[in-house]
Amino acid sequence: MLSVLLWIPFIGAVVLIVLPGLQDSRRAQWVALLLATFAFAWTIFLGFQFDFSATGSQFQERLSWLETLGLQYQVGVDGLSYPLVVLNNLLTCVAIYGSDPDKERPRFYYSLLLLLNFGVVGAFLSENLLLFFLFYEIELIPLYFLIAIWGGARRGYAATKFLIYTAVSGIAILGSFLGLVWLSGAESFALQRDLAETLTLTQQLILLGGLLLGFGIKIPLVPLHTWLPDAHVEASTPVSVLLAGVLLKLGTYGLLRFGLGLFPEAWSVLAPYLATWAVVSVLYGALTAIAQTDMKKMVAYSSVGHMGYILLAAAANTPLSLVAVIVQMISHGLISALLFLLVGVVYTKTGTRDLTVLRGLLNPERGLPLIGSLMVVGVMASAGIPGMVGFISEFLVFRSSLPVFPVQTLLCMIGTGLTAVYFLLLVNRAFFGRLITRSDGKVVTLAPVIWRERSPAILLAILIVVFGLQPNWLVDWTRATIADFSGSPAVLAQRTTLPEADLARAITLH
Amino acid sequence: MNDILLQTGWWVPCYGLLGALLTLPWSMGLVKRTGPRPAAYFNMFMTLVAFIHGTLLFRATWHHEPVELVLHWLSIADLDLTLNVELSSATVGSMELVTGLSILAQLFALGYMEKDWALARFYALMGFFEAAISGLAISNSLFLTYAFLEMLTLSTYLLVGFWYAQPLVVTAARDAFLTKRVGDILLLMGVVTLSALAGSLDFPDLYDWTETAQLSPLVANLLGLALIAGPIGKCAQFPLHLWLDEAMEGPNPASILRNSVVVSAGAYVLIQLQPILNLAPVALMTLVGIGMITAVGESFVAIAQVDIKRAFSHSTSAYLGLVFIAVGMQWTNFALLLLFAHAIAKSLLFMSVGSIVLTTNSQDLTEYGGLWSRMPVTTSAFVVGSLSLVGLLPLGCFWAFERGLDIFWYDQPLLSAIILLVNGLSVISLTRIFRLVFLGPPQPKTRRSPEVPWTMAVPMVSLIIVTLLSPLLMHNLGLLPNWEYINKSAGITLIASGLMGLIIGGTLELQKSKSRSIKKPIRVVQDMLSYDFYIDRLYGFTIVFLVSSLSRFMVWFDRYIVDGAVNAVGFASVFGGESLKYSASGQSQFYVLTILIGVSVLGLLLTWTLW
Repeated sequence: MLSVLLWIPFIGAVVLIVLPGLQDSRRAQWVALLLATFAFAWTIFLGFQFDFSATGSQFQERLSWLETLGLQYQVGVDGLSYPLVVLNNLLTCVAIYGSDPDKERPRFYYSLLLLLNFGVVGAFLSENLLLFFLFYEIELIPLYFLIAIWGGARRGYAATKFLIYTAVSGIAILGSFLGLVWLSGAESFALQRDLAETLTLTQQLILLGGLLLGFGIKIPLVPLHTWLPDAHVEASTPVSVLLAGVLLKLGTYGLLRFGLGLFPEAWSVLAPYLATWAVVSVLYGALTAIAQTDMKKMVAYSSVGHMGYILLAAAANTPLSLVAVIVQMISHGLISALLFLLVGVVYTKTGTRDLTVLRGLLNPERGLPLIGSLMVVGVMASAGIPGMVGFISEFLVFRSSLPVFPVQTLLCMIGTGLTAVYFLLLVNRAFFGRLITRSDGKVVTLAPVIWRERSPAILLAILIVVFGLQPNWLVDWTRATIADFSGSPAVLAQRTTLPEADLARAITLH
Repeated sequence: MNDILLQTGWWVPCYGLLGALLTLPWSMGLVKRTGPRPAAYFNMFMTLVAFIHGTLLFRATWHHEPVELVLHWLSIADLDLTLNVELSSATVGSMELVTGLSILAQLFALGYMEKDWALARFYALMGFFEAAISGLAISNSLFLTYAFLEMLTLSTYLLVGFWYAQPLVVTAARDAFLTKRVGDILLLMGVVTLSALAGSLDFPDLYDWTETAQLSPLVANLLGLALIAGPIGKCAQFPLHLWLDEAMEGPNPASILRNSVVVSAGAYVLIQLQPILNLAPVALMTLVGIGMITAVGESFVAIAQVDIKRAFSHSTSAYLGLVFIAVGMQWTNFALLLLFAHAIAKSLLFMSVGSIVLTTNSQDLTEYGGLWSRMPVTTSAFVVGSLSLVGLLPLGCFWAFERGLDIFWYDQPLLSAIILLVNGLSVISLTRIFRLVFLGPPQPKTRRSPEVPWTMAVPMVSLIIVTLLSPLLMHNLGLLPNWEYINKSAGITLIASGLMGLIIGGTLELQKSKSRSIKKPIRVVQDMLSYDFYIDRLYGFTIVFLVSSLSRFMVWFDRYIVDGAVNAVGFASVFGGESLKYSASGQSQFYVLTILIGVSVLGLLLTWTLW
């Protein structure tokens, strides 16, 4: 059942390379889209069989592989990973559909996209530390090529930077995994919640530190973030969509599943520092985004800021805040994917992303009115306007973190205010005003936007509004898992919900 | 029947939203053949439905217990977010005011915006706007209220930015969004804290909680200050009042609503928050202080404006300042009365202003003159609106002011004086505008100025009637005091202040061109008032400067320090490799030596602890 999700993209990737007759770009795109849609449909089909009340992982599958190494093919899905798998498969469809139909080297391109999907889904589904690591590394290869071959002018620099950063991240994670299994004396790398229980606190802290470094690069957290703006600026639009929409979530997912899940004790020791780190990330990302003139860089830095909220909520580690983490991951995935899609359309139509040049794109006949309207929706969702999913996710993050870290949460809320500042600047500069006039004084007429370019964005915008109005459809998947997750004995011992008087005292103390 | 009506009460705000959605095919440009008019009709129809439903609802709630409708929207762990709506005669009445004014404003817009190509988009925004405000009126949960306030912020941004091709509009829209957003973020901080402290965000639960809450004074006061920040932004109070003035660049029909019900919405929220604010004496004092500053300052600023719409927008801020004083002094009845009277009078005035602006294509007060005989309906609307806005004749605001004076007469002479001052200054400002616009010889822009078409005249005349009848309405709702309880001396002083204003305003020297006095002290004061105390520059020097320089520093830091370090590591390794390659000389002695040194250093390091 579950393995289908893995094998469709993998076989698809091979088929696209091997099968003759797919040199035609459009045909390759259709084949890839067909496979991705099938994978997405299968995910939804699994969703109908998904048991909301079950706490453990479902649809488990297990095959012995390299037993001596402790590596087994162990997959399963729970409320934590299922929404992310759906998001990933949805955005893969969007990315394939939204790709330029006249792509060069189409077979390689689409098979890389499918391979990327394979790696990411595999990482979300793995229930074996080593297997997770393998998928985590597999995902890196196609992404490197996608940036290095189909990227912008400085693609070589950006791709290499991405590769080195992520390789370091992989090494740190592998080191922690190996250390964990060897120190605990476990027989295999199978994911067990009590793996680290026998370890001393110092050992746990060191191992958790490795994971924080590794996943901190992937998320990315300041100051490990500089690969992200470069990668985004150089990557083509579909790759940016996947990068911001899903790949960053691998970092937060890993942090939650392995960092918090395996080292609850060490986590609660580090939590206050993590919350402060989150504040730094949020404010740093937001402030840096304000002064950007490249639209894509602005959205990339906004990602850095918004991923900080996830760290804040994860640090708080209450049942509510862990739900907030999931909701914020999905919400950020949808919103940043939408924003990157729209920036991509602006770039293909105008040939620039420079905010000092772009003006008046909302112009009804000659400009991009619909893209502009969707952009308003996107930036408002990102700035947390109610009625859209960005609001409820941020509200949950703040509401759940405030009792635990009052000062950090309030500081992070300034970040939402700053989000409004930079995104408003973006809309005001690029979309308001008079349309760009050419040097000969004539108003530019932009090429009309076709449905292939606008329909994925419309779909995402609708999802953003629907989940904003009905967040239960997001939350229901995770409720049971999270209740169990944060209710593991070690965590419960650490954290009981603060009574009101304590909270008031906590606030006054700061 | 009543039951069904009450159970479906929450539909009323949805009608506006539905209207907005129905205009999408036109505003997106999918339907071009019909022109944008059908979208406008749809919206007006939906608003009419909302108004009728509201009227029936009002009759159902009149003399009945309030009905509460609760929807458990999202509940996770210890959080239970509910969408809670209260239908009482007061809330439904406020909603009626909103939908009623909205329908008049939309009819007015049909004439005002007739030649605009984006009529459909305008109506979509108006529907959205109306939905947010009418939802706010019946909301019974702080969470829902916050959501509606943010919807208002968004729709204000889009409505102000409606003519986005003009540079002034772009800055106006930006400032409208950002200044309100500052207030909203602080309010959100308050909401989140309150949610964590009280466990629920429904107003009844919150009121219960305040009875027993044990908060340290610091927390309580900070909470109170955070909560009032949102209304300060919404009601255009000092220091977040800049946006309302700039928002006058937007289309006038939206200004009608903005200056009447939108600002009232902010104050309405404040009134709902009042029981919680009682925990925070500092916040209440701040309310009074801000109200006093805004009421007096903006009344003076209004007199110094040359833009007709801006003159009125400053007067709106001033009146809302009085409302803030009322809430700060915990006299919510006075606040509500003033809000009601002001909303009706101000919307009538803005209709009149809209007619003037459309007919003359000018907003400049110095370019008007002699309109009284040319535009009789507009003139009467202006006169009735003005009289209803001040305490001179027993129309709407007279009774509100009278109530205020009655309350503050014995204990708070300062506040009484402020009410009288605001009244007098408003009369001066209105008389000045009246003389400039309607009296005097016609000027080039007013020479050929016919009366506005029926689509604008009908709502104007209807509102004139409503305004004239408003004292009767207030009497029927039981808002007016009995004759024997009226504080006669207060009433007489109020009328005297109005007369005084009339005399000063009538004899004031008027300039038919933009001129500044040659006497330096007068010039300084005049400049300060006409530039609204240079508040935009104050922003520029403080918060804008802070954020922009911080962000520039961050970019520099990011580029040269963080990324610089990363690139330095890369450069060092490449450089190291490049330079070490020259050591590959082929002499085995050298290799052996290198290995030997390396191994010994490693050995030293490993055995360091044994030494």
